[in-house]
Amino acid sequence: MSMTQQSSVNWDKSAGALFAREQVKKLPMPKGEYFEGPFKIATRAASFLLIAVMAAIFLLLLYQSFPVFKTFGFTFITSSRWNPVSNNFGSLASIVGTLVTSLIAVIFGVPLALGSAFFLNELCPFKLRSTLSTMIELLAAIPSIIYGMWGLFVWVPIMSHVIQPAMIKNLGGIPLVGGFFQGPPFGIGTLTAGLILSVMILPFIASVSLQAFKSVPASLREAAYGTGANVWEICWKIIIPYTKTSVIGAIMLGLGRALGETMAVTFVIGNAHRLSLSLLAPGTTISATLANEFAEAFGNTYIASLLALGLILFLITFVILSITRILLLSTKRRMPL
Amino acid sequence: MKTDPMVILKRKIVNRMMIALFTIAVIISIGALAAILWKLSVAGLKGFTLDVFLKSTPAPGTGGGLLNAIVGSVVLVVTGLIGAIPIGIMAGTYLAEYGRNSRLGDVIRFCTDILLSAPSIIIGLFIYGIIVLPSGHFSAWAGAASLCLIALPVIVRTTEDMLRLVPDSLREAAIALGCPYWKMIVKIGWKAARPGIVTGILLALARISGETAPLLFTSLNNQFSTSTMNGPIASLPIVIFQFAMSPYKDWQNLAWSGAFLITITVLAINILSRSVFFKKRTQ
Amino acid sequence: MSSNTDQPRISVQGLKFYYQNTLAIKNVSIDFADKCVTALIGPSGCGKSTLLRVFNRMYDLYPGQRAEGAVMVDGENIVDPSVAASKLRAKMGMVFQRPTPFPMSIFDNIAFPIKLYQNPSRSEMIDRVETALRKAALWNEVKDKLNQSGLGLSGGQQQRLCIARAIATHPEILLLDEPASALDPISTAQIDQLIDELRNEFCVVLVTHNLAQAARVSDFTAFLYLGEIIESGPTKQIFTAPREKQTEDYVTGRMG
Repeated sequence: MSMTQQSSVNWDKSAGALFAREQVKKLPMPKGEYFEGPFKIATRAASFLLIAVMAAIFLLLLYQSFPVFKTFGFTFITSSRWNPVSNNFGSLASIVGTLVTSLIAVIFGVPLALGSAFFLNELCPFKLRSTLSTMIELLAAIPSIIYGMWGLFVWVPIMSHVIQPAMIKNLGGIPLVGGFFQGPPFGIGTLTAGLILSVMILPFIASVSLQAFKSVPASLREAAYGTGANVWEICWKIIIPYTKTSVIGAIMLGLGRALGETMAVTFVIGNAHRLSLSLLAPGTTISATLANEFAEAFGNTYIASLLALGLILFLITFVILSITRILLLSTKRRMPL
Repeated sequence: MKTDPMVILKRKIVNRMMIALFTIAVIISIGALAAILWKLSVAGLKGFTLDVFLKSTPAPGTGGGLLNAIVGSVVLVVTGLIGAIPIGIMAGTYLAEYGRNSRLGDVIRFCTDILLSAPSIIIGLFIYGIIVLPSGHFSAWAGAASLCLIALPVIVRTTEDMLRLVPDSLREAAIALGCPYWKMIVKIGWKAARPGIVTGILLALARISGETAPLLFTSLNNQFSTSTMNGPIASLPIVIFQFAMSPYKDWQNLAWSGAFLITITVLAINILSRSVFFKKRTQ
Repeated sequence: MSSNTDQPRISVQGLKFYYQNTLAIKNVSIDFADKCVTALIGPSGCGKSTLLRVFNRMYDLYPGQRAEGAVMVDGENIVDPSVAASKLRAKMGMVFQRPTPFPMSIFDNIAFPIKLYQNPSRSEMIDRVETALRKAALWNEVKDKLNQSGLGLSGGQQQRLCIARAIATHPEILLLDEPASALDPISTAQIDQLIDELRNEFCVVLVTHNLAQAARVSDFTAFLYLGEIIESGPTKQIFTAPREKQTEDYVTGRMG
């Protein structure tokens, strides 16, 4: 049969066509087609659960803590008085503690993390690379309670016998800054907690940054080295600007983790609902307060106040995480695990 | 071009300084890992006898072990995973197969990411509110539920990521044979992504094995072994917390032994999951 | 060479295909004869792969892709959504550009499509797997490693595995989308020989950018450009005495 450019075969309902149609009908359907709908519904339902859980957390915390805001109003956030006996609660000490420890964690953790990532990416001998980066990732896998114990039994003695006395002696007298380093060297306290947190978040920031650094195209790095720039200049002026968004995202995620961290902090912070300027004094964070007091709390106001603390923490971390996600959206990357 | 020797010198000094700082940073990081592992080994193995596995948690001053805590942890972790695995895989499948470009899919991804990084103590509070309060008592069910919620977003994420790595040409080849869509997902997609999904489950397992905060007010603690899920149950992290913060020397020793156990388990799972993933990938 | 039936196996009548709002196939009409190899040639982006993928309704998977017009196969217009795609795919075997072995043993790769529709006994299944592998000229190379993963085969072997898989369900039409473009010359020659033998049983539609392959292997050729059929006819005529200037430019290498 010859082929013409515009075929004009009339496919009418001839006997041949009808017979062929019967043949088509006789072909079996693939097995299991009826299962398609239920399967899709099941996957959808499982996904909905995630939305439901997040909404439920919000609603539950809001509902349970509402009476507290009704009773105390705005003073719940501005007062640091925390007295279960007289039923007078204010979250300021907890909130400030959370923010200060996280800030210390970021101040110390970020340079350590970025420095390690730069080392692994530019300076490390090839043979050691995978071993060292695996070790840093293992650091991230260690449960937080281990960090807490390590902090309490190893760091606190060092802090109270060596570091804090040195700080008090050398820094305590300086005007302005000195106020941060006053008081007896307990060893525990806000500074210690912040330092432990920095070691906790550093592997996370380091591994994510390292991934970002590795994604810098070889041609860019070669061109940069070709102009005669040295390692530091490449890191600061080429790699960081190129990976800026991912690195900031990693830092903010580390911050988010530091804000919510419980066990590492509870061991070493001292659990005192007190606002004090000195970093060497005991304090508390929201999560430490919850960890220490929830199981034995009594009375509706007490429990509701604790739940209100939980709500505040959830809101703080929610905001940080949302900002991070929006930031990373522009790089089309998901938040790292 | 005339070069200014001062400029060159300054750059050189700065470079050397920064390189030194980078090296110090890495040394501190690796040093921290070494220090932690060292302390764990020394303090954990001191007085680590078989009793740790044979006897339950004691009153201070009497010998004893961590048996009920170990059993309790296993119960909580396994129960939590049994809940998280099917839901997590199904939700991850939805995101990778049906919900790739949908608005709903984006919302679910957002919630997953938030839950992934949310403080675990908040999860504990949530479970307290919806299980412990209505039932009037702490329970192993509540503890398992909180661990389930922590493992869930990890499994959802890794399942979605791994399924997305399966090339579309494989999917089309199955569809071209007349395979129903769901069957293609199960028999081809899941199969191809299996090493990655297993890795995700192992990672979730490692993560919840060490969690303490969510158990604080859900499963609480129990000095003895228990045979019911309806009441408080002991768990390694909680026991470690209680014993470590106490002033009793023998309790502190047991705490270190427990800490050693948990860390070895978690690190082993991490290393194992790495080798599973890389081995199957290159097969 | 004449076909064995008078009526074309596939008859495309006035087909239009859209990617979102872009018209990729502009009013194409062409017939494909049975027991023949018809080659679709043309420069990149001309729509030949798109046309092929209409035949087994692959575009159903992607929202925003749609077809209008008629493609008649066995008396039914397969572009009509009321025709079940899965029944259609039982009749059409498709082989893709990149080899796509499933992550399972060689035996299971072939058994997979069979099990979709039937439940043969173990011995019958073994027979059918062997038949398919023999037809795809792969049996001798894999007969003692049927339980090994399909991923362990070479590129050419993987592609022949995909061909065996595609013909295992006794389809009547074979759709080959540049099956040898990812393979080395030796494997390409083996695939060519295979297509030569397959023509005796199937209606083969072959999309290729390898003009030499099209000239060697096909009975009929259609030249597409920018979504339209510029010329179609017996292969010999298209390559030695094309009627249109564009066709001549393309087959002599002056264009594309």
